[in-house]
Amino acid sequence: MARHKQIKTEEQEDPEMNISSMIDCCFLLLIYFLVATSLVSEKKLDISIPASTQSSSSQKPPVDPGRIVLRADGSVTWNGDLTVGDAYDPEAQPGTSEYRSQRELDQLVEQLKNYKDLATSVQAEPIVMLTGAPSAPHQRIVDIMAALAEAGIKSVGISTADPDAQ
Amino acid sequence: MAKKNARGNDEVNGNVNLSPMIDCCFLLLIFFVVNATQITVAKDPSVKMPSAVSCSELKDANGCIVVNVFSDVDKMAPKALEKYNKAYPANTLWGVADANGNTIGYNSGQTQELTDFIKKQKENLKGKGLEDSKVRLYLRGDMAAPWERSSTAIRCAAAAGVTNIVFGTLPSK
Repeated sequence: MARHKQIKTEEQEDPEMNISSMIDCCFLLLIYFLVATSLVSEKKLDISIPASTQSSSSQKPPVDPGRIVLRADGSVTWNGDLTVGDAYDPEAQPGTSEYRSQRELDQLVEQLKNYKDLATSVQAEPIVMLTGAPSAPHQRIVDIMAALAEAGIKSVGISTADPDAQ
Repeated sequence: MAKKNARGNDEVNGNVNLSPMIDCCFLLLIFFVVNATQITVAKDPSVKMPSAVSCSELKDANGCIVVNVFSDVDKMAPKALEKYNKAYPANTLWGVADANGNTIGYNSGQTQELTDFIKKQKENLKGKGLEDSKVRLYLRGDMAAPWERSSTAIRCAAAAGVTNIVFGTLPSK
């Protein structure tokens, strides 16, 4: 009886589980999911509207503000007559050369950089007035804002007049 | 010989208890993941974001007053439309979320209400010690939304004293 009892107690050891392999798997899965989850984060384009106090000054600015006009079809003009962007086609497929040429307003960026250089040469802040047709798509405005950001112009006045009605 | 035997009995299996280390590792991992998560603003899934060629990271969402600008309902994807209908009353053009996360929709006749909302948000942010210049309008405009709606939101913000505008975009493909 005593002998039998002793053998039983020797067998009763603390059941230990080797969890290191489980941890390996957990970490591996966690890292996999972290890497695989592609978080598309929103980006930003900053602009600043010239405050009303700035415009109250009767003094004429040393450089006339640049004027960008966006028409309802998405075409963009610089200072009245120079067309710097073609009509917008929302059906254009991303990745195609047509899409790129339509979206990247290279000519506008060039004009804006020239304008900025001109303004900085006379120690004036480059200000651009943007007039957009009410029905123009928001995407096209963002394209213009991207061009402004690329040229380093942050001060943008927004006109509510309809350029197609003029 | 007997001495040697006693010494051998003292030797115990050198098992390291890994569980506190795992706890610490997970805790650190979660801490870093939470900290590294990009700064997000309240995102409305009904808005199809425009893309921009040159845009920068939103490093600090503090001070952003988010206004969603919706496109016409016939231009929305079915899923987006479903969410829009659930969250906002009909004919909502601008959608915002209050401090409690409740969505509020404004239609074309409620521009004054939108101005008041922005003004109130601005006061709240200022009350938290934020500088005037750090209060920004975060405009989440749908890519197909007419410019008129976005410009109205900007005008409302200007009327409320917010002149810094941030256009929400996605990186261009």
